[in-house]
Amino acid sequence: MEEKKIKFFEQKNWIKENLSYYKDSGSWAWIYHRISGIALLLYIFMHIWSLSPLTSGKEAFEHKMAMYSTPVFSVIEWLLFAIVLFHSLNGIRIVLVDWADGARYHKKLYKLTWIVGIVLFLAMGFVMFSHEIFKLFR
Amino acid sequence: MKFSNYSDKHMYKYKASKETGAKSWVFQRITGLALVVFMIGHYILMHYQPESGKTYEAVLYRMQFSWYRIIDLTFVTLGIYHGFNGLWGIFRDYDMKPWLKITIISIILIAGLAFLVWGYNIIFSIPYIN
Repeated sequence: MEEKKIKFFEQKNWIKENLSYYKDSGSWAWIYHRISGIALLLYIFMHIWSLSPLTSGKEAFEHKMAMYSTPVFSVIEWLLFAIVLFHSLNGIRIVLVDWADGARYHKKLYKLTWIVGIVLFLAMGFVMFSHEIFKLFR
Repeated sequence: MKFSNYSDKHMYKYKASKETGAKSWVFQRITGLALVVFMIGHYILMHYQPESGKTYEAVLYRMQFSWYRIIDLTFVTLGIYHGFNGLWGIFRDYDMKPWLKITIISIILIAGLAFLVWGYNIIFSIPYIN
């Protein structure tokens, strides 16, 4: 009997291997979860850094916050919410896969992640920008 | 349809799985779920009104309640633990020489603790006004 050639993952060419590897919804979820996770860790750093003027009182803090109150920054905050949302919803999906037999329905959960995510993203957009929208008509 | 012949009871019999990060795996899920709950509160608080997150008065007012400080400290702790444990989880996917492992763990631990101290310091620096 002929030996079957098994292709192992070559760690040295990990970029090429990752790109050529066949990806279904679970792989994409894994990739997005990882990227969003790293992004959120970087964001925690920025978040603590941006709140650090609280140690030097009102003026220092509000000077810094003025920068974050611009519309451009609000849009960035909104996009940050997209990352938080994906990581949260996919995180719930992972817990269900691990603890609630979710391996049987993980593809449905992945679709649900996107549907719920997009709905909540748009809802948050309304909550965040309704103030801005109302300001325009005042 | 059965996917595996091993029951959960069997899986736990393997000593190796207990000692190669199973605890941090469980903690990652528990802290993750807790963070979802905290995050919902955080977003409602910070974005329902645009002022609540960005004025000093609002922050100062919230910080007068010790229970709020405790929630904040828990949130910071869980977030940083989850973040750095997740980062270590990424590294753990790759084959590393022991010295590299130890170096990366050390950097992650020191950075994580520094973050925690930094975050705590900010919360504790906000005064109580009577």
